[in-house]
Amino acid sequence: MIRKYHVVAISLRIVVNNFGDHNPNGRIYVLKENESKIKDLVSKNPFKPVELVQPLAIRANEGDVVDILFENQLPFSAGMHFQEADYNVLTSDGADAGFYPDTTVKPGEKILYRLNASQEGIYFFTDLGNVSSTEQGSSVQGLFGALLVQKRGSTWTDPITGGPINSGVYADIHHPFLPSFREYAWFFNDEMEVKDLTGNRPLNPMTNQEAESFHGVNLRYEPMTNRKRLIEEGVVCPDCDSEEVHHDSWVFGDPATPILRGYVGDPAIIRLIHGGVRETHVFHYHVHQWLGDSKNIEAEILDAKAISPQSHYSIQPLYGLGSLHGAKGDVIIHCHLYPHFGAGMWGINRVFDTLQDGSQCYPNGVKIEALQPLPDRPLPPKPTPEKPGFPNFIPGKVGFKAPRPPLGIVGGREMTVLEENAAIPNARPGAVFADPCLDNPVVVEFDISVIEMPVVYNRQGWHDPKARFYVFDEDFDDILSGKKEPEPLVFHVPAGTCIRINYTNRVPHILDGDAFQLVTRTYENGFHIHFVKFDVLVCDGGNVGWNYDSSVLPGQTIRYEWFADTELKAFFFHDHLFANSHQQHGIFGAGVIQPRFSRCLDSRTGEEVDHGTQVTVEHPLIPDYRDQTLFVHDFALLFDKNGCPIQPPDYPGSEDDPGVFGVNYKCEPLKFRLGKDRDPAYSFSSYVHGDPVTPILRAYEGDPIRIRLLQGAHEESHSFNIHGLKWKEERPDLSSSMKAQQHIGISESFTFEMEIPSSGDYLWAFEDEEDIWLGTWGLIRAYEEKVDDLITLPDRNDPPGRTEKLPKQTGKPPELADPQGSLPPNAYPDAPVKKFDVIAFQTSIKYNSYGDHDPYGIIFALEEDVDDILSGKKNPVPLILRANVGDLVEVTLTSKLKKELFPFPDGIHPYPPVKEQAFYPPSLRISLHTSLLDYDVKTSSGDTIGFNPDQTVGPGETITYRWFVDGQFGTCSMWDMADLRNHRSFGTFGAFIAEPRFTTYHDPYSLEEVKTGENVVLRNPLLPTTREFVLIMHDGVRLEDKNGKVIIDPIDGVIPETEVLEEVDTYDYGSRGFNYRSERLINRYKEHSVMHELFSSEVFGDPSTPVFEAYPGEPVVIRLTNPAERRRAHTFHLHGHSWKFDTKDLDSRTQSFIGHIVAGHSDDLPLIGGAGGVFNFPGDYLYRSGNIRWDIELGMWGIFRVHHELQENLPRLSD
Amino acid sequence: MALDFSQVTDVNEIHDQAIIQHFKNGINHKALVLSPSYPYIFIGIIKKVLGDTVEIDVETTHFAQLENRKWYIHIHNIEVFYIERPGAPKIPKLDDL
Repeated sequence: MIRKYHVVAISLRIVVNNFGDHNPNGRIYVLKENESKIKDLVSKNPFKPVELVQPLAIRANEGDVVDILFENQLPFSAGMHFQEADYNVLTSDGADAGFYPDTTVKPGEKILYRLNASQEGIYFFTDLGNVSSTEQGSSVQGLFGALLVQKRGSTWTDPITGGPINSGVYADIHHPFLPSFREYAWFFNDEMEVKDLTGNRPLNPMTNQEAESFHGVNLRYEPMTNRKRLIEEGVVCPDCDSEEVHHDSWVFGDPATPILRGYVGDPAIIRLIHGGVRETHVFHYHVHQWLGDSKNIEAEILDAKAISPQSHYSIQPLYGLGSLHGAKGDVIIHCHLYPHFGAGMWGINRVFDTLQDGSQCYPNGVKIEALQPLPDRPLPPKPTPEKPGFPNFIPGKVGFKAPRPPLGIVGGREMTVLEENAAIPNARPGAVFADPCLDNPVVVEFDISVIEMPVVYNRQGWHDPKARFYVFDEDFDDILSGKKEPEPLVFHVPAGTCIRINYTNRVPHILDGDAFQLVTRTYENGFHIHFVKFDVLVCDGGNVGWNYDSSVLPGQTIRYEWFADTELKAFFFHDHLFANSHQQHGIFGAGVIQPRFSRCLDSRTGEEVDHGTQVTVEHPLIPDYRDQTLFVHDFALLFDKNGCPIQPPDYPGSEDDPGVFGVNYKCEPLKFRLGKDRDPAYSFSSYVHGDPVTPILRAYEGDPIRIRLLQGAHEESHSFNIHGLKWKEERPDLSSSMKAQQHIGISESFTFEMEIPSSGDYLWAFEDEEDIWLGTWGLIRAYEEKVDDLITLPDRNDPPGRTEKLPKQTGKPPELADPQGSLPPNAYPDAPVKKFDVIAFQTSIKYNSYGDHDPYGIIFALEEDVDDILSGKKNPVPLILRANVGDLVEVTLTSKLKKELFPFPDGIHPYPPVKEQAFYPPSLRISLHTSLLDYDVKTSSGDTIGFNPDQTVGPGETITYRWFVDGQFGTCSMWDMADLRNHRSFGTFGAFIAEPRFTTYHDPYSLEEVKTGENVVLRNPLLPTTREFVLIMHDGVRLEDKNGKVIIDPIDGVIPETEVLEEVDTYDYGSRGFNYRSERLINRYKEHSVMHELFSSEVFGDPSTPVFEAYPGEPVVIRLTNPAERRRAHTFHLHGHSWKFDTKDLDSRTQSFIGHIVAGHSDDLPLIGGAGGVFNFPGDYLYRSGNIRWDIELGMWGIFRVHHELQENLPRLSD
Repeated sequence: MALDFSQVTDVNEIHDQAIIQHFKNGINHKALVLSPSYPYIFIGIIKKVLGDTVEIDVETTHFAQLENRKWYIHIHNIEVFYIERPGAPKIPKLDDL
C-alpha cells in the first residue's frame, strides 16, 4: 500500500527538562498535522518540555511504498535522507551529491520523496543539506527521526488511549497472528546547544565551571548537576550528596527523560537510534538481555551495546519486560559512559505489576497515566489497598532518599505488611519480590568487600594512591600486606548456579580531593551486576526511580542473590551509586559463567580455584582451555613516582579526559621502552626490555583459550586486537565471520574462543595510537616445551620436556627472524606460492586538488610502482594485496627509509598529539603486519614482540614474510608495527584481501590482470564477476596546505569558520579520509559558500576520494578497513544500498551502515541487489562517515557512481 | 528398460531402521545424545523405543531444571549420539559443584 506523510522541518525552542534548560535554536521534523499545535504549545510553555517536541517517529509496514512530502521551513536548504530504504537516488536521496539532481529543498519549498520499505526495521532519517558540526548545523540541533517499519499486516495504537496514532516514540504494535508488543523509540543525541533558564551555558555546581555538554535521549536530558542544586538549596534530601540519588524518584520525582512503561512479561522492542553527531555511546539496559542480531537466533547475547552516530539497532529483550524471572520495578537504561550518564543520558523502563487505568498516583501524588494492556496478554490484577502494586507498596518518604530493601542488609529490617503482600512466597535476602533462582539450583556464596589502598601500575612507579577495588574477604589480609597483587576481581561459576554475595563496604566515607577530583562524600556503594537474573527492586546495587536503594553504608554488609541462568560469558559488576566518582579508581570486576560442570584450576599449581583473572578450565565433555579476563580502563587517575599527577585535567572535577590508561590495573607505556639504541622497533621486545607488567596469558602450543574482554572504566572507545589469532564474531554461530579486532565501550563483554596454533609470543593490544602509547598491551605466550609453573591442560598430552632454556632479557635486540625456515601452521607443502616485492619509502602524498598534502608520507608500494610514484606519475594509494584461499603468500619487504626525510629531528612528534608526549625518535626500521591470515608469529607477524625474533627491517634490509590464506576472510588490515607513533599516521598501512580460490583480479577499464589496486574486477569460474572496491578509512593524518602550513584539524576544517570549537580530545586531532585522499569541505566552502551544494560535482567536479563506478545491478563488494589510528570511532554509511551484518551468515540482519570503526577494523560489504540497490537505480550515491562532528567536514566521503548509460572507458561486467 | 522403483532397495529406510534398531539394542544402557532442538544435550538411560522415538530417563541436560524426567526424542533428529556399553569408554560423570 502507499502510505503518506507530510513532514515539516521547523526551528523552535526545545526545552529539555523541568529545570528549564533549553536549546533556543532547536530544529526538528514534525508532522504537518501537528505543526501549529506544537508551535502554539512551545510559545505558551517557554520553560517546560512539550511532549510533542520529540524526534519524529513514523511507521509503515514492510512492503509499503511510503510517500513523504517534505516541506522545509528552516532558514537553509534541507532534506530527509533515509537509511535502509530503497529509493530512486535521483529523486529521493535528500542530498545534492555528485552530478545528479539536488533533492534537498530551499526554505519554504517542498519535495516528494518516495521510499520502498522492503524490510522491517529502523529507517533512520536526517538532513544532509547542512552538515556543519557547529550549532549552525541541522543534525546537531535535533533534526533527525525514524521511519519504523513493522512486519507486514501490523497496526499500531496509542499505549495510553488505545486509539490510532500517526506518529510518536511510543506505540503498541499489533499483528493478526504475532504477539503484540510495546515499541519504544530511543534516540540518543549529543553535543546539542543547551542553555539554562538564564540563557547561559549551564554551570556545574561542584566545579563552578561550565557543565558537560548535552547528552540526552529523545531531546531530553536529566543532568545530575540540576538535581544536586535542589539538595544544596535544601529543597530535598538534606543528608544526600549528589550522584547517589541522581536517579532517585523518591527525592526528585520522575526525570524528564523517557520512561518506557509496560507490564511484567510484555513483549517489547526498543528501537535504539543514534541521532547525534560525535560520540560512540554504550546503551545499557538493566536486568534484560537480547540477541545481538535480532534476526539471528544464534547471535551473541548482549546487555550493553556500543552505538556510533547515525547507526541503529533493534533491542528485543528476551522473555519480555522483567526478563525470565518477571521482575517488576524501575529498570534504568542509560549510556554507560559515566560522564554522559552524569550529564543526563538516561531513562527508565517502568515495569508495572498492576493495572494502570489512570486512577492511581505515584507516591508524590503525580498521576500515573493509563496504560492499555496488550490485547493478547493476561490482564494485570487491579490494585487494591492491600496490594497496591509497584511502586505503592514501598515504604518510602517523598523528598528523601529511597528506603533500603527489607531483609538484605545484615542487621536490617523485616518486611512491612504491604511488602509481605507484594513479596514472593519464599522471600529471602536479595530475592524479595521476584525469584531469580529457578527451581532450587546449586548455590555458591561469596564474601566480597570493596577496599581502598594504593596500587602501583608499572615499574616506573605510576600509581593510584587511592585505588578502590573489590576483593574476596579471604584475600583481604594478603592484599593489604602486599602478599597478593591487586587485580580486578574475577570469579568463576558454572552456568545454572544461584550466586549469593555478602557484600561489605569497607571504603572510607570520603574520596579525597587532588589534582583530578574534588572531595566527594562517597559514603555508600552497591554492587550492580550485568547479565545475571536478579530482583531489580532490592538487588540492583543501585538507587533507581521508585525502587529501593540497594547499597550499603561503610561497615555494613548487604546480601544479594543472582542466577547465572546459562553460559552468558563474563558479567560485569561495579558500583552504581558513586560510579562516576570512583569507578576509574578500579571498582570493577567480572563473574565468568563457565559451562556447567566446569572446574577452574590455578594454572601454576593445578589447585582448584574460584577466582582469578587467569585460570585453567577443566570440563568432562568439551575441550579444556585457558581463560584470561582483560579489563581496559581509561580515566586512570595516576601519579608518577614523585607524586605528580599524570595528565591532570585543567581543573579538579573536570571530566575532560583526565588521566591515562590501564589494563587490569597495569600499564606499560612505550616511552619507557626505548632502550640504549633508542629504536622504537624494539619497544615490544622482551629481549631488550624484559616482559611487560601487563597480563601474559600462558599456554602450551595447541591449547584452546578464551579471552574475556571487558572495559572497566570510564568514557572512551578502545580497539582490541590480537596478532596472529582470530575468532568467530558471533561465538554461538557456526556461520559467523572471523575477526581479529573488536571495538569495546564500557560495560560491554566479549568472549573470544581460539586455539593457539604454534608456539611463540602473540601480541594483544588496544591498538589505537594513544592507548598503546600509554601501555595497553601485553602478550599471549605459548610454549613448545614443558615449563615448571604451568600445568598441562588435563585433557591434553604433556608437551615435550624442556631441552632449551627459556629466553631471558639480554638488553640487546633479537636476531632477525627466518621466515623461510618454516611454513605457516595451517599451510601445506605444495601450496601455490604468490610473491610480492614491497618497498617501504617516503614520498609526498597529495590528498586533494586544493593542495592539501602530506610531505612526509611513508608508504608501502610494489617495487614496480616505486619509480612512477617517486617521479610523480602516480599519486600513491595504500598498498592493497590480494591472494586466494590456499595460496602461500611471500611478501618480500625492503626498507628504503631515510632519516633525513622524517619531519621531527628532536624526536618528539607534536601533531597529531597524544597524551604524555615524550622523546621517541622515528625508527628507520619497518615491518608489515596483517590481521586474520595464518602465519608463524615467530617469523611473519611483522611484530618484534616478547621473545620472538626481529621481524622488522632497517634501511637496505629485506625480509620475506610467509602468510597462508587459510580462509575466505575478505578484508584483512595491514600496518607497520616497527613504530606506531612515528609511522602509521604518515601512511604505513594497507589492506590484504583474501579472495575465493581460483579468483583472478582485473583492471576495471582494461580488464587486464593486475596485482594491486583499490578498484578491480574479480573473475571466478564459479562465482559472479564482481566489482571490488577497497576503502581504507583512516584518521590522525598530518597534512599541510598548499602553502606548507600545517593543517590543525578538526579546528581548521570546521564550517562555517566563525564558531569557537567545542572541546577537542587528543584523539580527535588529525585530518582524515579514504585511501590517502580527503575532500575537506572547508576547501569547497571557501570557493562556494553554499552548504547544501558542498557534495555537488556539478559545482566542484568530483571529489578526490575514490569515485567508484558500476552499472545497475552489477555485483559489487566493498572491502572496508581502518588500519589507522585514533580512538574516535567512526560510522560508515553508503546511501541507497545495504548488506548483511555478517557476510558469512544469511540469517543476519541487513543494514546500510557499519558502526564503531576503530583501528584494526575490517569488514566486507557485498551489496544486496548489486549496484543501485535492490531496484538497480542509477545515480550518484554518497559513501561517507556518519559522524557529523567532524568526519564529514574533514573529508571522509566520496561517491559511488552507478551509470545509466554505457561509458566509453568502462566495460560492463557482462561484456 | 525402465527402472521399476518399487523393486529398488530404499537405502534411507534401511539406514533409518538400523539406527532405530541400534537404539533398541541400547535399551537399559546409558546414552549421550546431542540434538539441534532445545535443550540440546541429553544423558541418561534408554528406557524404550516407540516407533522412531526414544524414551530416555534423563539425568543430565543443559539445564538442571529439566533433568530427572523422561524425555522423548525423535531419533532422526539426533545429530550425535553415543551409547555406553560394557568395556567401552564411559560417559563422563557430570556433577554440579
